[in-house]
Amino acid sequence: MKTGSHYLVGIYNDEDLLLNAVKSIRAAGVRIYECYTPYPVHNLGHALGYKRSKLPIAAFMFGLMGTILALLMQIYMMGIDWPMIVGGKDFTSIPTFFPVTFEVTVLLSALGMVAVFMIVSDLRPYGKAKVFDLRATDDKMVMAIDLSKNKKVGLDKIKDLLKDSGASEIHEKGY
Amino acid sequence: MKKNKRYWKGLEELRNDPEFVKHADREFPEYLPIAESKRNGEDNGGGSRRDFLKMMGFGISAATLAACETPVRRAIPYVVKPVDVEVTIPNYYASTYQDGGDYCSILIKTREGRPIKVKGNDRSKVTMGRTNAQVEASVLSLYDKQRLLGPVANGQPTTWSDLDKNVTSQLRNISSQGGRIAIVSYTVLSPSTQAAINDFISAHPGAQHVMYDPLASDGMLAANKSMFGKAALPTYDFSKAEVIVSFGADFLGTWIAPITYANQYAKTRKVGKNKKSMSRHYQFESVLSLTGANADYRTPIKPSQEGLVIGQLYNLIASKAGGSAGSFTKTAEVPYLQKAANDLLNARGKSLVVSGSNDPAVQMLVNQINQLLRNYGSTISTEQASYYRRGSLASLDRLVSDAKAGRIDGVIFYNCNPAYDYFDAAAFVDAMSKVKLKIATTDRIDETSALATYIAPDHHYLESWDDAEPQQGRFSLTQPGITPIFDTRQAQSSFLTWAGRRETDYYNYLKNRWRQNLLNTQSEETDFDRFWDLSLFNGVLEAPGTTLLTQGQTSDAYASVSIPASVSGVASAINQNYKADATGIELVLYPKVAIGSGRQANNPWLQEMPDPISKACWDNYLTVSQSMAKEMGFETKEGGTGTAKLTVNGQSLNIPVMVQPGQAPGTVGIALGYGRNRAGKVANGVGINAYPFASKVNGNFVYFNTSDIQVASADKAYKIAQTQTHETYMGRETIIQDALLSEYKENPMAGRFEPEIETSQGRKDPKDISLWHGHKYPNHHWMMAIDMNSCIGCGACTISCQVENNVPVVGRKEVINRREMHWIRIDRYYSSDEVEDTKQMEHASANPEVTFQPMLCQQCNNAPCETVCPVLATTHSTEGLNQMTYNRCIGTRYCANNCPYKVRRFNWFKYHDNEQFANVNVAMNNDLGKMVLNPDVTVRARGVMEKCTFCVQRIQLGKLEAKKQGRRPIDGEIITACAEACPTEAILFGDVKDPNSRIAQLLNEEAEDGRAYRVLEEIRVSPNIYYMTKIRNKDQEKTNA
Amino acid sequence: MEVTSPVREPLITGRRTMHDVTQDIAGRVEDKPTVTWLLALAASMGVLAIGAYAVWMTLWNGIGMWGNNKTVGWAWGITNFVWWVGIGHAGTLISAILLLFRQKWRMSINRAAEAMTIFAVMCAAVFPILHTGRPWLAIYWMFPLPNIFGSLWIDFHSPLVWDVFAIGTYFTVSLVFWYIGLIPDFATIRDRAKGAISRFVYSSLSFGWTGSAKAWERYESVSLILAGLAAPLVLSVHTIVSFDFATSVIPGWHTTIFPPYFVAGAVFSGFAMVLTLMLVTRKVYRLENYITIQHIELMNIIIIVTGSIVGVAYITELFMAWYSGVEYEQYAFLNRATGPYWWAYAIMMSCNVISPQLFWIKKIRTSIIATFILSIVVNIGMWFERFVIIVTSLHRDYLPSSWVMFYPTLYDVGVYLFTFGLFFTLFFLFAKFFPVINMAEIKAILKSSSDNVHKDVKKEIEHKNVEAL
Repeated sequence: MKTGSHYLVGIYNDEDLLLNAVKSIRAAGVRIYECYTPYPVHNLGHALGYKRSKLPIAAFMFGLMGTILALLMQIYMMGIDWPMIVGGKDFTSIPTFFPVTFEVTVLLSALGMVAVFMIVSDLRPYGKAKVFDLRATDDKMVMAIDLSKNKKVGLDKIKDLLKDSGASEIHEKGY
Repeated sequence: MKKNKRYWKGLEELRNDPEFVKHADREFPEYLPIAESKRNGEDNGGGSRRDFLKMMGFGISAATLAACETPVRRAIPYVVKPVDVEVTIPNYYASTYQDGGDYCSILIKTREGRPIKVKGNDRSKVTMGRTNAQVEASVLSLYDKQRLLGPVANGQPTTWSDLDKNVTSQLRNISSQGGRIAIVSYTVLSPSTQAAINDFISAHPGAQHVMYDPLASDGMLAANKSMFGKAALPTYDFSKAEVIVSFGADFLGTWIAPITYANQYAKTRKVGKNKKSMSRHYQFESVLSLTGANADYRTPIKPSQEGLVIGQLYNLIASKAGGSAGSFTKTAEVPYLQKAANDLLNARGKSLVVSGSNDPAVQMLVNQINQLLRNYGSTISTEQASYYRRGSLASLDRLVSDAKAGRIDGVIFYNCNPAYDYFDAAAFVDAMSKVKLKIATTDRIDETSALATYIAPDHHYLESWDDAEPQQGRFSLTQPGITPIFDTRQAQSSFLTWAGRRETDYYNYLKNRWRQNLLNTQSEETDFDRFWDLSLFNGVLEAPGTTLLTQGQTSDAYASVSIPASVSGVASAINQNYKADATGIELVLYPKVAIGSGRQANNPWLQEMPDPISKACWDNYLTVSQSMAKEMGFETKEGGTGTAKLTVNGQSLNIPVMVQPGQAPGTVGIALGYGRNRAGKVANGVGINAYPFASKVNGNFVYFNTSDIQVASADKAYKIAQTQTHETYMGRETIIQDALLSEYKENPMAGRFEPEIETSQGRKDPKDISLWHGHKYPNHHWMMAIDMNSCIGCGACTISCQVENNVPVVGRKEVINRREMHWIRIDRYYSSDEVEDTKQMEHASANPEVTFQPMLCQQCNNAPCETVCPVLATTHSTEGLNQMTYNRCIGTRYCANNCPYKVRRFNWFKYHDNEQFANVNVAMNNDLGKMVLNPDVTVRARGVMEKCTFCVQRIQLGKLEAKKQGRRPIDGEIITACAEACPTEAILFGDVKDPNSRIAQLLNEEAEDGRAYRVLEEIRVSPNIYYMTKIRNKDQEKTNA
Repeated sequence: MEVTSPVREPLITGRRTMHDVTQDIAGRVEDKPTVTWLLALAASMGVLAIGAYAVWMTLWNGIGMWGNNKTVGWAWGITNFVWWVGIGHAGTLISAILLLFRQKWRMSINRAAEAMTIFAVMCAAVFPILHTGRPWLAIYWMFPLPNIFGSLWIDFHSPLVWDVFAIGTYFTVSLVFWYIGLIPDFATIRDRAKGAISRFVYSSLSFGWTGSAKAWERYESVSLILAGLAAPLVLSVHTIVSFDFATSVIPGWHTTIFPPYFVAGAVFSGFAMVLTLMLVTRKVYRLENYITIQHIELMNIIIIVTGSIVGVAYITELFMAWYSGVEYEQYAFLNRATGPYWWAYAIMMSCNVISPQLFWIKKIRTSIIATFILSIVVNIGMWFERFVIIVTSLHRDYLPSSWVMFYPTLYDVGVYLFTFGLFFTLFFLFAKFFPVINMAEIKAILKSSSDNVHKDVKKEIEHKNVEAL
């Protein structure tokens, strides 16, 4: 345990227990490092005091970019760079550009947003996972508390808090 | 003797100089880094390995890159530029196409010394610069792989000198022992050739010249002999005829001189603002012929009635025109016969009656009718004889019997094939076995030359010098377009050689004859060389009054034929040969427009050209009438059909059946010219040979057979390769618009279908509705107008286009798969009985009206094909052309689907350089055939879409020529291949931006308030091709006989 | 619409706990492949091999190997293409639309459905490439790439280009959507993995997922937005495919009703295909607890609805043909029903319009066997719908002179087989190595919609009733 970060890990069996625990422990002024659950637990983020994610804005921006790019591309290629008479249509016949524009919009919006999501939540192929308890992806709710960040509260106090809030197991883990 | 080859790395090794020897062991030359690194001893040679890999990589990528470029093979530049060969600029040479009695005055188009196309010679008064399918296709026969490479003796190649030595000595022996020699040929149209033959004959006493024609006109020759004392065909002028009555004479397709007749005929059929009259045409025939299809009134009759029907017509005429009536057996009421008689009588001196019959008695009668109608001197001229058919089957008959009796010792077959196209070929063949010396000049080992001991192959006509006299006083010259490809020799030279003449070079012989006989017929040129050059340049020479051809040796043939001069005599002759109420099935033999007598059978272009009527190719078949099909259970559907067991003169065979509307009930028909077995890879085994089925009527061969013909269903499934399987146009008036002459006289827009579209502002003309603003065509705007009244559907355009645009031939199997490639096709629609029910509409009536509609890319200004191409491979030019960019095409076929006219053609396979198609698409699969390809047009790759381009290569050439002279192209200077070939000038092409062009003027007159309409106007693709409504010269009550 | 009211039938039965769920689903991945699975895989690979021969012959000799001709330029190839694309609709539709509608019952089927979507689109993509004359060029010339001609681009007027963009986008987005959903489950398998290889593989696949609250938060909004994007996308894809025909001038193709009609048809066939596959997987993997009769019934109801929409579309077409007064239009439809291809039209009508109506009967709706058979019948019908639209419109269009018949060749069939082989090979591989049901989502609804909570709720209600008396 030489490294700076030394964690206390509490394990719960039920999402409601975890939610209450989070509330009570944060009320006690303990700063929770992170919770790990096998499935999305509603309001957990809120309980942990996370702000709403800004992904929707990213998605919108990328979508907008797609629309503009697609339109410009088609107008340039069909109408400016090398206009050719096709079926007697106008060189820049906007109605025929709609389908491609729509598709490109959706594509960029989706890919852009997902890329952002990957980056911000540090997901990448071969990405190393910081696992506190293997069962966190099976059926256990895991709460990790960085002791180095909670010097003033003190280890025993936190242990009690966890026990009181219904943690089935408690053990320390170092990273 | 064989040498052991040894290679040196260079002269150094050869010289063994020390410097070399020092490094001799070193594989790689010094400059390679591998050697480098070795020498300055780099660590572990890693460097060298890296370099090696580098080079490998480079090598591979280089190879890959190189692979992207198709290597140019056998491109040989001119080291010394030949005189008057401008690379990429075509040269034209005036010449003459003659094949048997078939004649056409042409211009040969050569590129870099290769003939690649023939076109009509406008200076000719005989063919008026028009051609037909056979003439257009003949250029490919020049590059036929089946041609002999040189002289042949006893089946082994030999030299000319040896051949001549043997032949001359043997001929001399024969004539010295007073033996008889016969030269057998088709009609010889060339006076000089005839002279050469005569020279041969005079050199060999007891020699004779036997001329015959597979499509004979003996009957007419005999009749004319006895009536006018001259066994020659008259010269017809259809253009003067207001009423034309034809009894089984297919004068537009195959009868005697179709190009000439079709052109004259069309003149009488064209109508317009200032000419609201047209000729009326009656056709009485058994098989629906091209001519019958164009007739205003057509009556199917049995061959066994023909004589009697003509007899009745004669009586009807005679009764009014004051001739002695003959007592002919009465037949049942023949529809339209009375009507025809009345019209003829009203148009005395301006009418024409012709018959295709080979029975002298019948022809006699026809002559009588024409005489009563005072047509001689107006529409028929006996003064100016025609020499298209001078042959006599009778004399060939006599030759066969003589040979059988061993009275003939030597025979020379001059480019003829009696072993195939003589009616009693079997008898002929075993008669020939009795002949000692047999020589053929045929260009290949065919059915006849296979019997010959010696073959002295003649040039193709495009390699030959010759002249011709198709009509009295009208001469033309044949000049070669290429030096002989193989070691062949002109037959005429052979004759001269064998005749032992000093002058054996036919070119000089020809020149001398012209010097002697023709120089003085004209006055403008006194110097012969200038006269000769001028004649060569013109290709034709008008020398009225002069005649060099006579009936020659064959005239005596008709002495034997006895024809009663009096009408009563004719009547009795006819009564005994024709039956008013024959009940048995009757077989009619007819030639097809493309294959004709079968001489050019090995030409794939002709084999794949759909028959104008049945739209079938690569086959002949038994045409049966609908009624007969019904009772025998035959059905032709989507090309699928059954076979019938046909029994003629005892022997029977199986033949596919084609249910043919318009076929006379109780008759069946078979096309001649098929069933060749030694013509070559293309034609061998295609169809069956119908020549043996001909029969004799009072000593003359006739093209029908009425003696116990049996037809029974052999119900074996069979597929006929048809390019069109649907009969009617389903009453779709936007496609076919037609009217009666009387209607047209009142209203120039008669028959026009004017769709209107319901819009928010009321009904509108489709032309006025568009989503888009359209585009301007600033400089040129190419358009085409097709007159459906003068289009006779002959298909010359199809072949001309095929030659011009390197259109591949795909063969029977692929045509059955409905994948033929023709860029311009002729849609043939039968009329159906007046019914409302769509299902009923699909079936043609028993004797339908026929409409032909040439269909090619319509070059739409709002082309649906362009819109859907994902890669811009087809776009519109600023001259209104719908362009194909072959190298950009990826072959989605979306354009073809979206084409309302279905004129786009797809390369389903690789048709060039592909074993699979080597035997059908010869023009793209062997080096010889490839010489015919037009260098200005790409050969399309597999998986690429192609279609008519309005011959864009010609447009570009024309524009460049004009530009060089700093002017706009003159109207008529740029013309598409189809328009160029059309014998009736039904296709008009030009630039509507040029106000005085014929097309601009025509469309001004006709487009708004006239006959010009666009197919499928209401779908608003605005094509650049206009069609002129079909006008029929019929009376008001439209009845289907 | 919130649908977890306790009176509803439970979505998960058998009193499964969270760990059971993991065990049931991840277990399949970890176990040794069963014999049946191996046989199935071998079979589908066999079909793939046979098909591969046909594909090779087509590529080597040209499209001439097929039955198409001068008039019928498109036939089996494009029919199969549209058919596969149609099938490829259900997956994304189920996950996207039903997610937006908060339909929890989707959860046990969406994973497999999405996989099916992706594989189906891959099969579909085979045909546009293969049916071109020069596939080696078509494969990249369809994209607006710079080239040595500088200004030579592609034609944005062409519906085929729209297709390229539509299918491309649809495929990409579906793939992403699907994979995002897979990440947490991969993580689960990773954390259970014993073998070094599987640990390595699944940890690399799981992108280092931990299940942290923050990640889950983002995960949810991402999948919600993706769903929001995918929903219109699904509708757009078949709309644009239908443009291939609707924007043409060919009678029988040139119809404004096509977009909705095609989309309905797509959903129709898609759901049928999902059913076919789900019923098999359910049986083989004993997932009766997750894919309950209720799921099947709900899907059958959707089939009735879409099937009826399609039926209405057919009738409307006929009406419009008559009402338009255009003789070509009228003939096109007369010819469909009574022409040489009447039998294709009959099959289409009976399979698509009549057979789904049987689902009005609850007994059939809830019978596994009946559902299985009908689901196949529906897909046969849908194939013929496309055949009828494409071939019978083309083979007799404007000019009777070009009217022809189309007869398929063995190679047409072979290439179709190829895509079947491809599809099932991929699907079996997926079924073995991927979690076929979204564990995380199931766990999420375990409390609300499994029957262990359910029973207690029922009791309460009964008590209340008793008291009331």
